[in-house]
Amino acid sequence: MARLDIDRLAKRYGDFYAVRDVSLQVADGEFLVLLGPSGCGKTTTLRIVAGFIEPTAGSVTIGDRDVTMLPPWKRNSGMVFQSYALFPHLTVAQNVAFGLEMRKLGKAEIGKRVAEALALVRLAGFDDRLPRQLSGGQQQRVALARALAIRPDVLLLDEPLSNLDAKLRQEVRVEIRELQQKLGLTTVMVTHDQEEALTMADRLVVMSEGSVRQIGSQRDLYERPADRFVADFVGRSTFFEGVVEAPGRFRTDGGLSLACDDGTPGRGALSVRPERVGIADTPWTGLDNSLPGTVEFVSYLGALIDIHVRLSPRDRLIVHVANREGGFTPEVGQPVHVGWPATAGRVFNE
Amino acid sequence: MSETAAIRGSAVASPQKRGEGLTATALIGPATIFVAVSLFAPLAILLRYSLNDFDKATKTMIAAVTPANYVRFFTDAYYTSTLATTVEVALLSTVVCLVLGFPLAYVVARTQSRFKHLLIMAIVLPLFVGNAVRAAGWMVIFGNKGFVNTGLTWLGLIQKPLEIMFTEKAVIIGIIAVTLPFMVLSLQSVIEGVDRAVEEAAFSLGAPPLTMFRRVLWPLALPGVLAGTILTFILAMNAYATPYLLGGPVFKMMAPLVYNTFTQQSNWPFGGAIAFILMAVTLTLTMAANLLIQRRGRAAISS
Repeated sequence: MARLDIDRLAKRYGDFYAVRDVSLQVADGEFLVLLGPSGCGKTTTLRIVAGFIEPTAGSVTIGDRDVTMLPPWKRNSGMVFQSYALFPHLTVAQNVAFGLEMRKLGKAEIGKRVAEALALVRLAGFDDRLPRQLSGGQQQRVALARALAIRPDVLLLDEPLSNLDAKLRQEVRVEIRELQQKLGLTTVMVTHDQEEALTMADRLVVMSEGSVRQIGSQRDLYERPADRFVADFVGRSTFFEGVVEAPGRFRTDGGLSLACDDGTPGRGALSVRPERVGIADTPWTGLDNSLPGTVEFVSYLGALIDIHVRLSPRDRLIVHVANREGGFTPEVGQPVHVGWPATAGRVFNE
Repeated sequence: MSETAAIRGSAVASPQKRGEGLTATALIGPATIFVAVSLFAPLAILLRYSLNDFDKATKTMIAAVTPANYVRFFTDAYYTSTLATTVEVALLSTVVCLVLGFPLAYVVARTQSRFKHLLIMAIVLPLFVGNAVRAAGWMVIFGNKGFVNTGLTWLGLIQKPLEIMFTEKAVIIGIIAVTLPFMVLSLQSVIEGVDRAVEEAAFSLGAPPLTMFRRVLWPLALPGVLAGTILTFILAMNAYATPYLLGGPVFKMMAPLVYNTFTQQSNWPFGGAIAFILMAVTLTLTMAANLLIQRRGRAAISS
């Protein structure tokens, strides 16, 4: 395993920058997740690291080796593809052995390493099956074993779970994360699924329009989003459009006067996380904001209840209430009071 | 919709199933009968003729059951060399076609260009021109006073015109021009079905391009290689207009020979025998190649 340095990477197609000035450092053994909507440049970045795309500018260093100009077959990176990309004409064991044969290892050594890799992903005994005889989850694990068997310097995962069904996805992401920690694999994963990103990553990189918007831990991104895009993309938020009248005071376009954390005077947006808002049938005391409203929409999500409250003709607030015994669950049309502390409101100036 | 679904869903709905079978029979029946009658009936008649005797003086067929026509073919060097030339030309054309066609098919299969359909059209376009017309075009290009020779002489590159016309070269070039589209389309459709990520997986596992081709792309493209080579080989073995026009009076291939025997010599029994020999050789070689490539493929896979 080795550290990975990406320095001022750019990829231009004509006038369009798919990736622009991306710099990332991944420590030895770290799990870094590139998160962003489709077309944000995360996959292009990963493919540049793998060597499938030549960057327009910048460099990629794996360990002490500048690999920017090296073709993929000289990089020693293990890649797991979204479609798994197993060799359909080779058995499970032959798939896993492929990279080892390319490294001209002895037959005994190959056999040993194939068995090791398959045991690691709990597929011992599946050696002679063909990929088409396996379920999606098993194919995914063969792809992982194949990438691990070559003992790559970096492991690259390109939306590895997006073709699995929801239940299996939850299991596999824990499995991959545990394996990654156990083996100390320097790993870069690309995903558009924020829950997946939050579960697996040591650090996350939020990208949009080819650029890095924020790098940080789960808590950094969720509680201290760098900009409105990150606040919107990671987790859910209500955004009130309006004006910062003075630091700590926000007036929405709908006429509500709200207490907020900070902000410099001018137009902007105030974001409030739904789980930070209290909801009751009497006004709130002891909270900086207490507002009356009417429930417009209620959705039962199991662990929590999603409530939308109309505060003014132009302002609607999302509230999440934990689904617990004796909790307050209003009905549509019911008048309620919502409240939250000033520190829960984050201002993004335009 | 729901009715069909119900029929499909239940395995024991035999009355409905029989109904489906009848519909299927009605649909494929006419074509089957047409093929059977129009293919096998003439073949059967031809086979019978090929066992007849022929009176040269009166140019009439005499009913008999004799292997004489077949014996005559295989004992006369003129005919066996014609067969050898035909097989040689067909094999060479097929190999050149495969070598030329694979890269082209790969590019067409993998291109992201929005002009892809134009590219495919450009490949198919030559098929819009009849074989004879195309061969006439080649004659203009290859002739002693043709495009190539005048051009090269004018440039001072040659003193004497190159002899292309009426040689094996001209015939092979002409045949390839006909068969290349079939090869490219057969390969392209199969390569398109091979996930690009599979090639990338091989690269990332340490395989340089040639190794990737040998271990991954070639085995996966084998069905297309088979289809393409079989089509090309059969077309080349049976080529008529191209060898007739570009090969001239000296260069002999089987299909023109069959035609001549029937029309110029009116020798139906011998013509029938040649036709059957051509068919048998084509079928045998095609099947042999099929087996060979499949076994090679399996060997490449398991190595």
